[in-house]
Amino acid sequence: MVPFDWKRELDRRDHQVVLFGQPIAIHCHHYNINLQKTLEDTLGEEGIRLIYQSAEEAVYCSLKTLLAQYREIKTVKSKLEMCAIMYQNCGLGIIHPQTIENSGGFVISSSSHHVTGWLAKHGRRDTPGCHFSRGWLAGALEAISGKPLGAFSVKEIKCKMMRDKECLFHVEEH
Amino acid sequence: MAIDGTKIIHAVMEGSRIRESKGIIPLFGVYLSLFSVQYYNRVSFNFEKKIGPARAAEAESLLINAAQECGYATFQGIRNSWEWDEIVKPMIDRQEDQIMGFAAVAVAFGWGDLKVQKLIPNEELVIRVGDSYEAKGYLKDYGHAASGKCFMLRGVTGAFMDLIYGESYPEGCFTFLATEPLCRAKGDPYCEFIARKSPRKNLP
Repeated sequence: MVPFDWKRELDRRDHQVVLFGQPIAIHCHHYNINLQKTLEDTLGEEGIRLIYQSAEEAVYCSLKTLLAQYREIKTVKSKLEMCAIMYQNCGLGIIHPQTIENSGGFVISSSSHHVTGWLAKHGRRDTPGCHFSRGWLAGALEAISGKPLGAFSVKEIKCKMMRDKECLFHVEEH
Repeated sequence: MAIDGTKIIHAVMEGSRIRESKGIIPLFGVYLSLFSVQYYNRVSFNFEKKIGPARAAEAESLLINAAQECGYATFQGIRNSWEWDEIVKPMIDRQEDQIMGFAAVAVAFGWGDLKVQKLIPNEELVIRVGDSYEAKGYLKDYGHAASGKCFMLRGVTGAFMDLIYGESYPEGCFTFLATEPLCRAKGDPYCEFIARKSPRKNLP
């Protein structure tokens, strides 16, 4: 069982909200989805890449700090479990990384903030839309495996925004 | 009765620790997420850079509009939530107090230390922020800016006025527009946002 105390780690430092000592912002689906749509509509593929890379980099930095604090979390399995708890506790949804190993694999997401938000605001889309989650997974796996940013690529094979039953991500090491 | 920000902060902190089995945080009538400010700053400032200096005004406007639309929908959801009825409404004596309540929720969300400096009903709102995560993030990663960089807070300031003095939801968005004459990213001691009636909205 992952040993961190979520209630203690999510705290305030004056007016800041901090998680594992790092500043975070609480935003709702309206803002997250508006940002995504603005970037996609204005920059197309480049906007999608920007969402992916920003999420990848941010979670990579957060997890590096977290893993340095919790050195007792050693195995890849327990680190993946910690990631799934963190994803859920941040309100980002549910991920099932059971078929992931050091070099890649598949991740299923049965629920997500961005899917719920996108469907509530814009309804079904024709292309996969979980760019944030793809970046998040890439950054998390890079931090867990001690590899540099960009070491993994994550593609979305199925997406609930397209009314697939679940989101399915394929993770591959470059 | 004055708005007690600490009660609102307490409600947000407690509520954001509770999520349902799907990993979603439904609180104050919206779905919340908790994520690093680094992400939001990277998205905004790199968007601006990718669009390029020739279209800087367009990038700024798109980011502010996205935030204002969001603020408008978000705080409409918030003021219609049961949490607002339970926690904030008892502290509201007059219409203008809602803006104090909105600002307290924004502080609770970790957007900065928002303080309402001036409110002239249906005319002007001035909000001051000593520690905006946007200004701080810009300074840290890019150095001094030539113009204000708190796009999210600028849009949200306009949205606060839209919700109180604009037409009924959802027609009132962009009735007000905010400027940011002072920003820490430019070297000012704090960020200041001034929302006034939008000339755009009032065209015949």
